[in-house]
Amino acid sequence: MSVPVENYFLLSSFMFLCGLLGVMFRRNLIMVLMSIELMLNAVNIIFVAASRQLGQVDGQVMVLFVITVAACEAAVGLAMVIALFRRYGTVNTDFLRLLRG
Amino acid sequence: MDALYAIPQLMFYLLAGLVAISSLMVVTSRNPVTSAIFLVLDLFFVAALYAKLDAHFTAAIQVLVYAGAIVVLFVFVIMLLNLKPDALRGIRFSVGEAVVLLVTLIGFVIIGAELASPVPEGLPAGPLSVAAIEEAGGNTHVLAMRMFTSFLWPFEIASILILLAIVACVMVARKEKPESGKHNLKAGAGR
Repeated sequence: MSVPVENYFLLSSFMFLCGLLGVMFRRNLIMVLMSIELMLNAVNIIFVAASRQLGQVDGQVMVLFVITVAACEAAVGLAMVIALFRRYGTVNTDFLRLLRG
Repeated sequence: MDALYAIPQLMFYLLAGLVAISSLMVVTSRNPVTSAIFLVLDLFFVAALYAKLDAHFTAAIQVLVYAGAIVVLFVFVIMLLNLKPDALRGIRFSVGEAVVLLVTLIGFVIIGAELASPVPEGLPAGPLSVAAIEEAGGNTHVLAMRMFTSFLWPFEIASILILLAIVACVMVARKEKPESGKHNLKAGAGR
């Protein structure tokens, strides 16, 4: 007796919604990056659940790649946050309006 | 006997509830450090879900890379920037934000209803069921066989991506002092 795969999908969709709302409504750049991590994790749950449901391991391989990309993204994003903080003294997105460096 | 069969389901609902609550706490808590701690919790619970789905290697990688590396990076940067908790902003949305929120919620209700509908029975099941994976030498072995044959090129591209990310991090995050840098370079060359 295993849990139906739809429950994993629902959980994942809820987690993705949390991340999306965080990205839209938090003003702190670090919080935005954490919310992106949440969204990536939500997608990973779907990958693993579907991979088991369909009797394939491709989904799990994809999860490894997603984790790689997430690590790179977090590292580069945090480096940019540090550079922004050095230059402007804040990480609040209300004050960071210019795309120009 | 029924109670024994119910235990995995109970475990799932427990883990799912914990994941949902900690996701909410990550997004809603005002202090970034609290958010980071709840993010660690969240990632651990997701790793437990992976283990429950018989994806043992993925669960291990989740704990090692996410909880062990990425969140530590987050906490380190929070410490470096010495962030204060966000000021209470109140519930003030601009019209645009309210519209975006409304559209998002409607979209997720639709997607959630679609996802909650049962998966059709006729889907072709692949050859690698849980029992077949155990037979073939375990999750890690099967995953490695797949990754280093069919997914070899993506694997190599991922390594290049990591290299690029390292270089980009160093370039972006270093202190901007071109003059002193040149000076040091010259001094080093002169010696």
